[in-house]
Amino acid sequence: MAVTPARRKSPRRAQIEAAALYPLDWLEERSGLVGAIKYFLFRRVPRDTSWAQTLGSASLTAFLVQAITGVILAFYYKPDPDKAYESIQIITNDLTLGWLVRGMHRWGASVFIILMFLHMARVFLYGAYKYPRELNWIVGVLLLTLGMAEGFTGYLLPWDQTAYWATVVGININGTAPFLGPFIAQFLQGGAAIGSDTLSKFYSIHMLVLPGAIAGLIGLHLYLVIRLGVTSPPWSPTEAGRERAPEPPSTNGREGLIRPSGRGGSNGE
Amino acid sequence: MASRRIEERRAQHTRYKEDVERTGKPFFPHAMFHDTVMSLVVVSVIVGLAVVWYLDADGTEAGVLGPHYTEEADPGTTNFIPRPDWYFYFLFYLLRIFKWPESVVLGTVGIPTIGLVLLLALPFLDLRRERRLFRRPVALVALLLVVLSMGVLTYKGATARESLGSELIEAVPQWSERQGFAGKMEAVEGAEIFAQAGCAQCHLYLGTGSQNLGAPELTDIGSGERGAEYFARYVQNPAQFGNNVMPPYAALGEENLQKLGVFLDASKGTEER
Ligand code: HEM
Repeated sequence: MAVTPARRKSPRRAQIEAAALYPLDWLEERSGLVGAIKYFLFRRVPRDTSWAQTLGSASLTAFLVQAITGVILAFYYKPDPDKAYESIQIITNDLTLGWLVRGMHRWGASVFIILMFLHMARVFLYGAYKYPRELNWIVGVLLLTLGMAEGFTGYLLPWDQTAYWATVVGININGTAPFLGPFIAQFLQGGAAIGSDTLSKFYSIHMLVLPGAIAGLIGLHLYLVIRLGVTSPPWSPTEAGRERAPEPPSTNGREGLIRPSGRGGSNGE
Repeated sequence: MASRRIEERRAQHTRYKEDVERTGKPFFPHAMFHDTVMSLVVVSVIVGLAVVWYLDADGTEAGVLGPHYTEEADPGTTNFIPRPDWYFYFLFYLLRIFKWPESVVLGTVGIPTIGLVLLLALPFLDLRRERRLFRRPVALVALLLVVLSMGVLTYKGATARESLGSELIEAVPQWSERQGFAGKMEAVEGAEIFAQAGCAQCHLYLGTGSQNLGAPELTDIGSGERGAEYFARYVQNPAQFGNNVMPPYAALGEENLQKLGVFLDASKGTEER
């Protein structure tokens, strides 16, 4: 990273370059972050990675859309049974572009879930959950469940009839689980009937607990992806990690000419 | 044996790293280009859905992508079909396959839990190194079965039709006729509450309604001579009677609960059934 002033450059130009790079050097010296980002950007990936491997980063994009639109919605949404419905109406009808933010959050949720399923299908088709990526598969399954839990808790927030009654049924389904079921149901509901306690609990889980957990797990997931690398398509002729042929025969004539004749002759076996 | 397998897969990963080092492409700009294009597509699709949803619907009036919101939540009138978001339809429909009371837990927790555990355990169940799909017959068949059953369950959940309270209420005269409580004002009014409060979303009554979450048919629930008061208390808070599936209907109010109780008590079942 150190800036070595080139000899032929005018002193002035060298000075400007050093000044421009100074903040990066400063940062690198104290954190190593510049090197880390460089490593991230210029690390090698198998040459046959293509569109199928974009589904993971697409899920990440969908999650970021949810995070950003969610923060904006939280500025205006009121998690109180007397006010929630009205605040949703205000966001949809009165606030500038409120409909867009709410619409993106609402439909982004579906897109996020679909992308996670597609990404999982790609990992399955490629057998990419096998050694050494088992742990990343498990992290992925956790992300999928937490993502769906986001969907369940977010569904109540508009406090309309659909929201309310779907949640009644959902909580009661929780209640049928053996052992812990009734406790979970009681905890979620927070009272004799679904009301303000339920709403604030769902809100807190939806906007703090689950997104925090998802963000942390995505960090772990990406760390593992960078550490282990992504898998090549198994059917690819240039698949990284394929069984080695005994020693590749010469691929074009010129190589053969340059090569010492002693090695070129062993093609028969 | 096992240790040979471990060595083989380690060797494969070492080969993988060598290959990537030798012949791989840098993430930037090649893979990053693909990722960026895909992300732009994703964001455009989300914005597109939001725009269509907003323009095509009007408040509680649904467009192709549904309404902006339904009526405000009202614990009193359950004249409403509880429906989760589409990605829960498969669970939602799974619940209808299992009947009360022995097997309902299978549908609500049993099968989903088993599915989740299998999903988590997948890398430890499938230990072969083979990654080509057509050389993984078990994985291929399992994949097809899972996709097929999830698809069918989602489709069935999406198309499952429940009767609305407004349609059910037209059946009340016929109910009172067949059950023989037509002259009893309280029971008829109770029947109307029954039709509107959403009970028939889970319970079957004289062939109407639907059976969900394993709820029992109520056509002859009154034949046990437990009395109207018992039913009023039960509906008020089913959990007190050990029923943790059915929601409490205390919000209906004492008067309505009494009428419901009379109606249920008068439901003795008909011989022709
Ligand atoms: C929030 C959700 C998720 C995000 C943001 C995410 C992100 C990513 C990214 C960026 C990659 C790099 C390669 C690629 O894009 O295909 C990846 C790989 C991987 N993901 Fe995910 N993922 C998510 C959910 C899941 C799920 C639900 C599973 C499976 C149950 C999963 C399992 C894996 C595995 C095993 C790899 C390694 C694939 C390989 O080496 O080829 N991920 N993930």
